[in-house]
Amino acid sequence: MSQTQYFSNGLELAKFVVNNDILQHAWTAITELCKETSQNEGPSSSVKFRVFELPNYTIIAFFTWPANSIDFVQGNGGRDSVTSSTLKDSFPLFNFLCTQANPNFSINKPAFHLFSSIFGVLPFLKSKIDNSKPLIITGNSLGGSVATLFTLSLFENFKISTTKLPLCITFGSPLIGDDGLQEAISNYPTWNSCFLHVVSDQDPVPRVLINGYKPFGTFLLCSELGCSCFEDPRTILELLMAAYSGCPENQDPNKVFESYGTFVEHLNRKVLCKDTTDHESLIDWTTQPLQAGIITKLAAIGLLRSQPLQNIDINIIIANTARREKAMAILNKQAFDPTRGLNEIKINMAYLEHYKKLSKDEGVGYYDRYKNGIDRSDINVVGYMRGLTCYWEDMIDQAEKRPQTVGASLRTRSLFGGTNYRRMIEPLDIADYYKAGKQDYKNQGRSKHYIILEQLLKETEKPSSGPNELKKQNVVSILTEDSCFWAHVEEALISCKLLSSGESSDEEKDSAKKKLIEFEKYVFDSMKNYAVSSEIFLPRSSFMKWWGKYREITGTSYSSSLTNLLRNDKNYEAYANGSLEFP
Amino acid sequence: MLAPISSIKLEFQKVLQFLNAKSVNLAHASIDTFDSSNFYMRVMKNASSVVSHAACNLMGNTNLLLETVSNFIPLSPYKPFGTYVFCTGNGKLVILRNPDAILQLLFYSSQLCREEECTDIAHRSLQQHFGYENDLQESFQMLNEVYLEPLEQLPLSSDSTISDIATINSALNDLGLSTKARLCLCAAGELEKRKTRNKESIDLKKPDIEKAMKYLEEGYRSNCENRGLGCYDAFKLQETHNDFNANVKRLELAGIWDEIIEMLKRYELPDAFEGLRDWVLLGTRYRRLVEPLDIANYYKHLKNEDTGAYMIRGRPKRYRFTQRWREHVEKMPVESSGESCFWAKVEELRIKISSQGFDPIKEEILQLEAQVQNWINYEELDRDVLLEKSTFKKWWEGLPREHKLTSHIKDLMVS
Repeated sequence: MSQTQYFSNGLELAKFVVNNDILQHAWTAITELCKETSQNEGPSSSVKFRVFELPNYTIIAFFTWPANSIDFVQGNGGRDSVTSSTLKDSFPLFNFLCTQANPNFSINKPAFHLFSSIFGVLPFLKSKIDNSKPLIITGNSLGGSVATLFTLSLFENFKISTTKLPLCITFGSPLIGDDGLQEAISNYPTWNSCFLHVVSDQDPVPRVLINGYKPFGTFLLCSELGCSCFEDPRTILELLMAAYSGCPENQDPNKVFESYGTFVEHLNRKVLCKDTTDHESLIDWTTQPLQAGIITKLAAIGLLRSQPLQNIDINIIIANTARREKAMAILNKQAFDPTRGLNEIKINMAYLEHYKKLSKDEGVGYYDRYKNGIDRSDINVVGYMRGLTCYWEDMIDQAEKRPQTVGASLRTRSLFGGTNYRRMIEPLDIADYYKAGKQDYKNQGRSKHYIILEQLLKETEKPSSGPNELKKQNVVSILTEDSCFWAHVEEALISCKLLSSGESSDEEKDSAKKKLIEFEKYVFDSMKNYAVSSEIFLPRSSFMKWWGKYREITGTSYSSSLTNLLRNDKNYEAYANGSLEFP
Repeated sequence: MLAPISSIKLEFQKVLQFLNAKSVNLAHASIDTFDSSNFYMRVMKNASSVVSHAACNLMGNTNLLLETVSNFIPLSPYKPFGTYVFCTGNGKLVILRNPDAILQLLFYSSQLCREEECTDIAHRSLQQHFGYENDLQESFQMLNEVYLEPLEQLPLSSDSTISDIATINSALNDLGLSTKARLCLCAAGELEKRKTRNKESIDLKKPDIEKAMKYLEEGYRSNCENRGLGCYDAFKLQETHNDFNANVKRLELAGIWDEIIEMLKRYELPDAFEGLRDWVLLGTRYRRLVEPLDIANYYKHLKNEDTGAYMIRGRPKRYRFTQRWREHVEKMPVESSGESCFWAKVEELRIKISSQGFDPIKEEILQLEAQVQNWINYEELDRDVLLEKSTFKKWWEGLPREHKLTSHIKDLMVS
C-alpha cells in the first residue's frame, strides 16, 4: 500500500474565491462608502459604516481613513491591548469565547475602542440582517478589525441552528488578537471559516503587529503575480514578513488603499489566463505534489522573484510550509465523525437492555438492582455506562462546535439514539447521585449533556399522541419517558422521611406535604399516558418502597386518585397489560 | 454546461441559432458579427469556479471557507462521463477516462495566454465547432494518440526528458498545461487510486458479513422454528439468550454496512461499486435476512411514537441503498423490491385498523395480500410468516369474515 499523497490547495481555493464577484462587490461597497464620507467630511479617526442591499446578498461595510491606520495602531506602543477579564463586566459581548480550557484572551485596544464607539448602533445593524439572504461583513484596515469584532459578536447566537454563516472579508487589516483569541476561534472550525483577510504585498498595516498577536481565519495574500490562501497561523506570520515588498517610510496610505481595488479587478480577470510564473529552477520531475503545490503558491505571492528582498532562504520556507500543511491535513482528517464508534455504542445499549430484562425477571427493576449493586453483571454495567456517556458527551460538545454538520445530524438521525440513551442511562446516574447522599438532582446534579438532549427532543417533537393501543400493549418493555422519574421518586422518599421524622420543623413538614401531593399528580398523569414503564410496580422497587411509606403516613382514610389506584393490587397487572381504566 | 443558464441566456440563444444554421458558410458569417468575447468570458469564468471548487475537493481540502463561499454563488452540477479525446492543434489525440481529470482539462486546455487574446480566441472557438470533421480526418491518418495514465505520476514540470514520460510530457505541453494544471490532474489520479484502495479494504470485510449472516440464517432460524415461531416474532419477544445473541449479530452487521454506506455517501468508493454483482447479491441477502429484525426492534420499542412509521422516517439508509442497487441492476421499477419491509406494512396496518376500522384501509390490505402472494411464490418472503403463532396470521384471522372468504391468499393461510 503506497503512501497517501498530500496536495496543497491554497491556490485553487484562492482562485475560487477571487473568481466570483463577492470580493469585487465587497470592495465596491467600501469605495462607495469612502466617496460618500470624503465628500461630507475630512479625514478623522472614527469609523463609518453602511448597509448595502444587493439582490443576492446583504453587505455591511465599515470604513476608516487609511492614513490614520498605521499611527493609530502603532501609537501607544501598539501592544496596548484589552484583556477579556477587563471586558467581562463592561462588555459582556465576548464572554462566550472564554471556556474552561482557555479562559483568557486579549484584543488590540485601538481596534476595540473603535468597535465600542459603534456599540450603540449594533442592534440596528443586527436588525438589518435578513436571514434569507447570505450576509457579507467587510471593512478596510481598522474598519476591517471592527468588521471582525462585529462578526464575532454574532456568533453567540449561532448555536445549533440552521442560519447560514456570514462571511467577513477584510482588506489590509492589522492582527487583532493574541494566542487565546486564536485558540478560542479555532476550537470552532465553522467560526474560523467565516474570516477571509485580503492582504496586499505592498501594505504595511497588517504587518505592524506581528509580535504577540496571532492570525486566525484564512489569509489571501496577493501580489501582482497572483494570490494564494493560507490557513496555518505560523505560516501566515512567516509569509507576511517574507512577502512584503514595500518600505514603510515612503508609503502613501491612500495609494495602498487604491491598490486593493486594482488587485481585486486584476485578479478577477487573470483567472482566465494561463499561469506563467516562473519556477523552473525549483520544480523538476522528482518534486512531490505537495511541494510543487506550495512552490506554485509561493510564486504566486511574489516570493520567488529574481531578486530576493531580504535574507530569506526560500528552501527553508518551503520545507516549513510543507510540514505544517501536512500536519494540518492529518489533524483535520481525524476530526470528529459522529458515525465512528456508533456501532459499539449500539452494542453497549443492547447489553444494557439485557441487564434491564434480567433485573425485571428477578422482580427488582434495573434501577434498584444497580443501586444495590451486588454482583459481576452490575459491575459490567458500569463499564458500558462509561463508554456510552463518553460518546454522547463528546457528540453534544461537537454538535455545538459544528452546528451545520454534527449539530444538524444530531437533530435528525442521532436524536432517537440520544433519547434512548438518556432514558436508559440517566436513571443509573441518578442512582449514583442519591446513593452518595446528595439531594435535588434535577437542579443541582444534572449533567449538561442530558439537559441538552432533552431540550433537543422538545424542540423537534411532534405533539404527543396520547395513549394508544400499541403503546398500551408495549408498556412492559418501554423505558420511562421522563428520564428524571427516579429523581422525583427519591425526592418523594426524602419528603416522606421529613414528614415522619420528629426533628423537622413545621415549615419543612408543610413543604414536604406539598411536594408529595405534586408527586402524586405527576405519577398519576404519567400513568394515564402510559408513559412510565410497568417495572416501577415490581415489588422491590424504590417506587413501591415510597408507596409503602406514604401509605403509612397518610393512613387508610386518605383518598386521592393515585392512592385509590395503587391500593388495588390487581391494577398493577392491569397496567402492565395495557388494560387499566382510569377514572 | 459549465455555466448556469441564467447568466448566459441571451447570448446562448443566439449561439444556438448559428449552430443550427443549415449552411456552414452562413454560420461562419453570423459568427463574425457576433460579440463572442463577452459570452466566452462568462462561460469561462463560471467554468473556472466549477473547476477550482472541484479541484479543492480533489486535493483533500479541509478549509471550511470553501463551503461558506459556495453559499454565495451557484455552481453548475454537471459532470463529464465516458472517454474524452482531446485534439491538440498538431494532430495529437490525448485520451482520458477519469471524469474529475476531464473536467479540469476541459478548463485548463482552453485558458488564454494573454488577456488580449480573448476576442480572438472566442471567435475562433465558435468557428472550430464546425471544424471537427476536417480535424478528425487528419488525426486518424496520423494515429498519434497518447493515453494520460497513470495520472498520479504525471510529470509536474514541462522540461523532463526521461524517455518514457517524454511523450506524455510533450502532449501536455501541446495542450498548454502549466504546473498548476498538472497538479489538478495529478490530484484526480490520486483520488481514483484512493477509491480503489477503499474498495479493497471493504472487500476484506466480506468474510465477517458472511459469518454473521450464516449464524442468523442457519442457527437462529432453526432455533426459532423449534419454538414454533417465525424469526420476527421470536426476536420481538426477546425471551431467550438466543434472541439476545441474534440482536448482537444484527448490530454488528449494521455497523459494517453503515460504514460502507457512509463511504458511498462521501464518494470514497469507485463509481462502479453500486453495480457490482457480488455486492448487490450480498446486499439483497442481508436485507431480506436482517431487515425484519430491525423492524421488530423498531416496533417493539415503539419508535414509531417518536419518529413516525418505519417506512417513512425510520428506515436505515443501508436498506434503502441495497434495495435501490437491486432494482437498478435488475431493471425493476423503483420501490418495487419491498419484500423486506413486509412486517413494517403489517404493523402499520394493525395500527390503522385499530384507529380507523376495516373499510378505509381495505384497498391497502388487498394490495398487501397481492404482494404477499407474489413474494411467497418467488421465495422472496420466507414461509415462516404463515406459521400459526405468527403475528401476521393472527392479525389476518382477525379480519372480517367476508374479506377472508374472498381473499387471494386464503389458500396460503389455510396450509
